[in-house]
Amino acid sequence: MARTLKYLLSGILGVLLLAPIALLLLQWIGDDGSLSFLNGKTLSLIGHSIAYSSIIALVATLIGAVCAFLLTQFHIRFKSFYTFVLLLPILISPYIFAVAWKDIFIAVGGEKVMDKSILELIFIHSLLFFPLAMVIIMSALSRISASLEESACMITSYPRAVFKIILPLIQPSIGLSFVLILIFSLSEFSVPAYLGINTFTTEIFTQFSAFYNTKLALSQSILMLSFSLMLMLSEVKILSDAPFFTVDMKGNRTRIHTLDKGKKWVYGFLNTFVFLALFLPLSALVYQSVFAQETFFIRAFDLIAPALVNSVILAFFGACAIVLIGLWSAWLKERGRYSLPNTILLVMFIVPSIVFGIAAIHFYNTPIGNFIYGSMLILIIGYVAHFGFIASRIIANGYKQLPPSLEEAALLMGISPLKCFRKVTFALLSPSLFAAFVLSFVLCIGELGMTIMLYPAGMELAGVKIYTIAANAPQALTDTMILINLGTVLFFIGFFAFGGKILFKRGAHE
Amino acid sequence: MSSITLEHIHHSYKNNLTLRDFSYSFGKQNRVCIIGPSGCGKTSLLRLIAGLEIPQEGKVLIDGALVTENKNLIVPPHKRGIGFIFQDLALWPHMSVYENIAFGLHEQETNQIDQTVKRSLDFFGISDAIHKYPHQLSGGQKQMVAIARTLVLEPKVLLMDEPMANIDVQVKEQILIHLKTLQHLYGFTLLYVTHDHREAFEIGEEIVVMREGKIMAHGTKEEILKTKDSFTQSFIKI
Amino acid sequence: MGLIGSITLLILASCSNNTNEVVVYSSVDQIFSEPILKEFEEKSSITVKMVFDTEETKSTGVMNRLIAEGRNPQCDLFWSGDPMRNILLKSKGITAPLHSIAASKIPSFAQDKEGHWIGFSARARVLLYNKKLIAKEALPQSILDLTQPQYDHKFAIANPLFGTTTFHIAAIFSAWGTEKGMQWLTGLKKNNVTIATSNGDVKRRVLKGEVAMGLTDTDDAFEAKKENSDVDYLFLDQEKNGLGSLIMPNALSLIAHSPHPENGKKLMEYLLSKEVESQLAQSCAQMPLIKGVKTPKQTPSLEHITPMKIEYEKISHLLPTIQERVQSWLEH
Repeated sequence: MARTLKYLLSGILGVLLLAPIALLLLQWIGDDGSLSFLNGKTLSLIGHSIAYSSIIALVATLIGAVCAFLLTQFHIRFKSFYTFVLLLPILISPYIFAVAWKDIFIAVGGEKVMDKSILELIFIHSLLFFPLAMVIIMSALSRISASLEESACMITSYPRAVFKIILPLIQPSIGLSFVLILIFSLSEFSVPAYLGINTFTTEIFTQFSAFYNTKLALSQSILMLSFSLMLMLSEVKILSDAPFFTVDMKGNRTRIHTLDKGKKWVYGFLNTFVFLALFLPLSALVYQSVFAQETFFIRAFDLIAPALVNSVILAFFGACAIVLIGLWSAWLKERGRYSLPNTILLVMFIVPSIVFGIAAIHFYNTPIGNFIYGSMLILIIGYVAHFGFIASRIIANGYKQLPPSLEEAALLMGISPLKCFRKVTFALLSPSLFAAFVLSFVLCIGELGMTIMLYPAGMELAGVKIYTIAANAPQALTDTMILINLGTVLFFIGFFAFGGKILFKRGAHE
Repeated sequence: MSSITLEHIHHSYKNNLTLRDFSYSFGKQNRVCIIGPSGCGKTSLLRLIAGLEIPQEGKVLIDGALVTENKNLIVPPHKRGIGFIFQDLALWPHMSVYENIAFGLHEQETNQIDQTVKRSLDFFGISDAIHKYPHQLSGGQKQMVAIARTLVLEPKVLLMDEPMANIDVQVKEQILIHLKTLQHLYGFTLLYVTHDHREAFEIGEEIVVMREGKIMAHGTKEEILKTKDSFTQSFIKI
Repeated sequence: MGLIGSITLLILASCSNNTNEVVVYSSVDQIFSEPILKEFEEKSSITVKMVFDTEETKSTGVMNRLIAEGRNPQCDLFWSGDPMRNILLKSKGITAPLHSIAASKIPSFAQDKEGHWIGFSARARVLLYNKKLIAKEALPQSILDLTQPQYDHKFAIANPLFGTTTFHIAAIFSAWGTEKGMQWLTGLKKNNVTIATSNGDVKRRVLKGEVAMGLTDTDDAFEAKKENSDVDYLFLDQEKNGLGSLIMPNALSLIAHSPHPENGKKLMEYLLSKEVESQLAQSCAQMPLIKGVKTPKQTPSLEHITPMKIEYEKISHLLPTIQERVQSWLEH
């Protein structure tokens, strides 16, 4: 019965997510599945793009790793504040971030400063994506048993212990960060488009939006998809499934050091990135909105408020669906030794959002499928497709840290699997579930590429509205809308964090 | 034989006072067992000696040299000549048995690392595990590797924090016999923490009974058995 | 269970089978088109469900959606900011012909002979300039002048692969021929033209003083003037026998096999009215095509502008070839 259910649900997931892509692929093969698009220009372009994104991934992972290390290993005053603030760049749309930074560059150095420079792209993308590395590596570091580090400290100095013991143990998380950021950077087009830098993704986008050459755009997307798939599969095989993952029992503390001599360097480093990644770009936005000839707060609020309500509701349900499916996928992979749902989510993760949008329209836009296509459900399916893998990985990592014996002990006592999950597993997994939920919520609210293809007519969503209004509105109005949107998301993150704290505390007492 | 002296130690862990004006001198005997219920401060005591924690007040001296004083770590852990075997053994999961043992030897730039590692594994009878990883070992084998890893560095003091918690009785007996032999061979001072008084009586030449951060009784096995302290009596069920 | 129940409610709420509605996809800026559509909704009691577009360089948007939905259209009426998109949709069999009652009011150049699209309220291509950075006397009078050395590093155009800029370049190529067109583009490059992401970005850069001037549309220029009195705009190539300025009417197309074709027609007739043209003239200086529409003083009039003499269909057919050459120009 359980096995049948497992296969049935996997089948449903496959149909909902994978079938649209498979159908599109079959159509592509049927129409003109040749590889004639693989010319020198294409290969050169994808080569360059991979190179840029690799550098970005390297830089962002390095920054994220250092921030994660400092925040988990040392007594830092206002640690929660730093952690929260350094995560915030995830909330800012890449395009808005690029516009803010371009204004700053121009204000500082004139219009020719780093014009069309790859350095500008690397700088902006690194600042945008380092929080992802930070959160992944922080999670890994916080799960390393203190005794592993301490036993090394009995033998050698702390820096050597870090280099020889801690770094190898967090190698899977560093690898995952690198790969994820590489894929995100490679598939992000709005920043290179804005900076006028030709990348593979801007080329795909140009084929879609300028030439309406869906066939060629799909061919190019398949090439990018193949590369991303190879990358993710090798990451899964070599890194994440490595047998030496640390198991940490709840209650085992991580070692935290006090800062002595290096205090000013540590705070200097953290403050630098708070300044660069958040304070400066936000200040540019605030400056634009406050010091324009007119202030637009009321007008901006009127425009965006109804859309915000819809966006929050949609993001909430989207995050719930993502976490549920991510949990089921992670549980099957880690406990059930069944990886199909995880593989489906992995493949969907690397499909560009535009491609999924088109595939979903072809698949769901039928008289039978209209109840999905004409409703919020199409967007929820899209969000699960796009972000389900991230949630699945976060929760799977949480499962990895949970000795199976905890659940097995409960089951042997005759406790039903559902009750065991509620009373044992859920409590211990809640930090992972919570992190997955909040991240999914933020990603859903900020998603544009697929949303604009699929949102039901008549529904207003904040991200879409900001961009549609921005087409011809005073910049101050757009910036004010962005700030309101950002403020709302921050409010909800704070709300979830507060709620989560109460829930976890209650769970701990029980 | 090394001496370890703690003077007027006040130590808290997560706002709980674990040691309150604790003073004692270890080293009169080679093998000292510290026993007491959970939370009495046994582990904190070992960690303070190792330098893994710093007291709010007080001094720690090893062989008369001041190593910790009032929140100041004067001598870092890796320079104290101390070996520490943790409760969870802390074998590095990404390193093989060989690498776990050789790691310290590399750091100390010892010669003949290969020979040293193989000799220690031979001694414990686990040579065939040399290329295995910790997750591939049995509980007893892990225990042996943890001890071997520490002893190849020839520490002056060996601290063991409830190392037999997950070991079956037969293997435990063998390891305890090994320990006594090793102590005679290497000449280190052994501080062994356990909540099992039978283990303590088996290995300890001196027993220290703790409760809520204070010493309730200390002495040889015979002296402990004759103690008039009611807590000690009930703890060891006289 | 709660989650499943909520999702069921969401589906049911979204799936109301309301026949008294019309679905319109608009690539005209939401800030201008939405108030007009809402007014229609109030007056007609027909629920208007809108899908708006971003600037093309920010998302694939409405056009790709319309093409992808081709087999089972959700949209009843497509309202575009220029006829190029409608002509493309017509070539893919997505539009349905309609000979509107209002067609007689609209000049023949601004409608499709077969009725697949009809134009109203036009924009034009203009040169927006920052008065603090360039004096009126020093301004170019023709797009050809932009290749002269005194304008080196001084102006911007939007990405020529997208939107009305691509339309403009295609029109220039159509008027001059490909060779002269490429020479002009080469001249722009020699003059270090700044490539902005969109017309809105051109407007932004001129407002901020990053560049002295830029080619954009009348509605962007109008908004810019409202934001900051330091900017103004002019129509290029207005001399006798000159090239003229590109006129870009809004264009409406009914979608073939749409769910609510009758309501689509009603909305179309509503939009092709003097009232709507007057509103668009007021809000974004769009120039009425219907005679006798009251316009504010600041709105330019088609009667006083020399238009480019072009055929929209012809330009649309030239587009793919021109775009390839432009892409090559952009990349090198």
